[in-house]
Amino acid sequence: MAGLELLSDQGYRLDGRKAVELRKIQARMGVFAQADGSAYIEQGNTKALAVVYGPHEIRGSRSKALHDRAVVNCQYSMATFSTGERKRRPHGDRKSSEMTLHLKQTFEAAILTQLYPRSQIDIYVQILQADGGNYCACVNAATLAIMDAGIPMRDYVCACSTGFIEDTPLVDLCYVEEAAGGPQLALALLPKSEQIALLEMNSRLHEDHLEKVLDAASKACRDVYAVLDRVVRDHVQEVCTLLGE
Amino acid sequence: MAVEVRLPAARKRGSEVLLPETNRHLVAPGDTITTDTGFMRGHGTYMEDEKLLASVAGTVERVNKLICVRALKTRYNGEVGDIVVGRITEVQQRRWKVETNSRLDSVLLLSSVNLPGGELRRRSVEDELAMRDYLQEGDLISAEVQAVFSDGALSLHTRSLKYGKLGQGVLVQVSPSLVKRRKTHFHNLPCGASIILGNNGFIWIFPTPEQREEEAGGFIMNLEPVSLPDREVISRLRNCLLALSTHKMMLYDTSILYCYEASLPHQIKDLLKSEVMEEIVMETRQRLVEQEG
Amino acid sequence: MAWVRLSEAEKVYIAHGVQEDLRQDGRSCEDYRCIEVETDVVSNTSGSARVKLGHTDILVGIKAEMGTPKLERPHEGCVEFFVDCSANAAPEFEGRGGEELGTEIANTLYRMFNNESSLDLKALCISQAEHCWILYVDVLLLECGGNLFDAISIGVKAALFNTRIPKVRILEDEEGSKEIELSDDPYDCIRLNVENVPCIITLSKIGHRHVVDATLQEEACTLASLLVSVTSKGLLTGMKKVGKGSLDPESIFEMIETGKRVGKAVHVSLQEILNKEESLGKQRQKVGFLG
Repeated sequence: MAGLELLSDQGYRLDGRKAVELRKIQARMGVFAQADGSAYIEQGNTKALAVVYGPHEIRGSRSKALHDRAVVNCQYSMATFSTGERKRRPHGDRKSSEMTLHLKQTFEAAILTQLYPRSQIDIYVQILQADGGNYCACVNAATLAIMDAGIPMRDYVCACSTGFIEDTPLVDLCYVEEAAGGPQLALALLPKSEQIALLEMNSRLHEDHLEKVLDAASKACRDVYAVLDRVVRDHVQEVCTLLGE
Repeated sequence: MAVEVRLPAARKRGSEVLLPETNRHLVAPGDTITTDTGFMRGHGTYMEDEKLLASVAGTVERVNKLICVRALKTRYNGEVGDIVVGRITEVQQRRWKVETNSRLDSVLLLSSVNLPGGELRRRSVEDELAMRDYLQEGDLISAEVQAVFSDGALSLHTRSLKYGKLGQGVLVQVSPSLVKRRKTHFHNLPCGASIILGNNGFIWIFPTPEQREEEAGGFIMNLEPVSLPDREVISRLRNCLLALSTHKMMLYDTSILYCYEASLPHQIKDLLKSEVMEEIVMETRQRLVEQEG
Repeated sequence: MAWVRLSEAEKVYIAHGVQEDLRQDGRSCEDYRCIEVETDVVSNTSGSARVKLGHTDILVGIKAEMGTPKLERPHEGCVEFFVDCSANAAPEFEGRGGEELGTEIANTLYRMFNNESSLDLKALCISQAEHCWILYVDVLLLECGGNLFDAISIGVKAALFNTRIPKVRILEDEEGSKEIELSDDPYDCIRLNVENVPCIITLSKIGHRHVVDATLQEEACTLASLLVSVTSKGLLTGMKKVGKGSLDPESIFEMIETGKRVGKAVHVSLQEILNKEESLGKQRQKVGFLG
């Protein structure tokens, strides 16, 4: 791209970050009172909201119920004003359906669903402002919302996107960096056990570089974990003090 | 006529000066609680590689050899003997499905309710067909948990005169973790209303019935208008309960009563404002601390 | 949840309470719950606002894009409404479940604004029959606690107040071909005049009286409601009856009078807060969802 250097010679990116630096993350749990669990996260300029209902009895067709575990039902939706150019439909298009499926797979791996046979857990994620890393922000927000709802999980699920330019992996891509083309890797990790819940890559990347990129992505996910852990512990501390037992 | 539009106020954090810092063991999912294999694992934990890990974010509770993690906010997990307030969602053959804010709808069997007049007999086919005359979809009942099925669904019963269909009143829904398990959940408050604190977080406020009539488990519905002073008491109690639950205070008869008394100087509709809520909750906390000390 | 189920006894209790002018939460029949409004919450938009009314939470985003004017109105811009009832608000709205309610609300908004005076559409015209601004007003329903129409209309008015459309100049070439130039200065923009933008007041009939700002429980007792859209001067721009029940003409006139009175009060309070928020300028602490 003429005139747009994603990584300068001194190692600075377009928004002044270094290659391995994450954007500023701010989060809050318990945003809505009516849902079982809710959370809001801001990663730089990307804003995502996650709401969890459940576990509850399966509504609609009883045939969907699984006798030994809970059904995890997700929906990924983007507000029509979230992107630079107005989006016509909030959800139902191919990209949203794909993201919905990914979310479902990710959380089925993390939630201890065997504890809730014949129940349903609904996870709804909404992007309010899209500036790159949409899927990752959704996963992080959903993790916090599930914790807020008191649903047992194996571990946190932290996600981060990574790109690769001029032999350097760039973590936590913003929209301009994503639109520039080039390989992108989205990784959802369970930090304590170092298990990968979801791995998705597009564009071309030479296999020699794969390990470097994966390492950078894992490290970034662990950094995200540190931030989310801080948020959760502060919240738990605050509520326990209020409950005052 | 009052219309108030205001700018949102940022939450104040760390303003709870009079609250002691909790010294509980706080955990998040994935944290190792202990590597000692001698402990039994309870709710909110799971075993992996000889380690006991937490699966929810909350406080660790240790009772002798049993370790469990209590989450801050969950759906209701029923236990035998709990009092619950529930709403009928479905009328099925020989049983009703009741919504109790738990992970599966609870079940109220036809054989677990009292027949009109307190008869004791086997339920016949006519009883099955007349089920909807007694309890319809949308009706509220107070009941006790009789048993817990293997998948976690609760079986309720109303085989006592104090349980049964509920009449006029107001239902308030709070988180189940805010209702303490106590000896009695039915209270006739001195301020002029009665209250049922369901363990599942459903709280029912209703006008105190005048005399102890021979109710057959609530078959006879009293649909006469409730007097205005009683209504004011009920509305005030409702707003107090919402204030206490927003500020995550435990709900029991003493705390509710203190909150009611603290709210008397304010108008009922002012109790919905966040600054007034904060004020009365602070006062209630203070009184409770003084009472204990 | 989008609606709640109540027992017969609860409905009777609520109806009697409304008769005596004391509702479940202690309000009188013409009292609103506390409304919280904040503008400029989403940055990708030309204008945005967030409204919290009890448990109802609405986010409105307005995007201004350039397009061609409609054939029958060549010297005006246009406004397009879209309402998204997201699954966040209620599990029933998952997938296409929220489309019906969303379309109903969007159609009501179209009808409200379908007159000469609500919004000055001529200000949105750039060059006659060729270029104009199209305002896409997108409403996102985040949490449902009753009284959606009122909250949405308040949100739309606040977002329109917050909208800043960049000024454009048309440059004529020697050959006669036109070029549009957007001004570079971010502060050089046109603001919309929201003096005559209407607000919807929902009047729900419970028993023999009507209430303003019904909660979900009160909506379950309502057989019929009247939606009245009122401007700040007390003029009606639209009216619609919703619900399964029927209303007699006497009650309709009473409800219209109440709607006008309450509507004027809502406009006054809302404008006051919008002016106050703007006067805070840069010092304003943005609360958003994190506060």
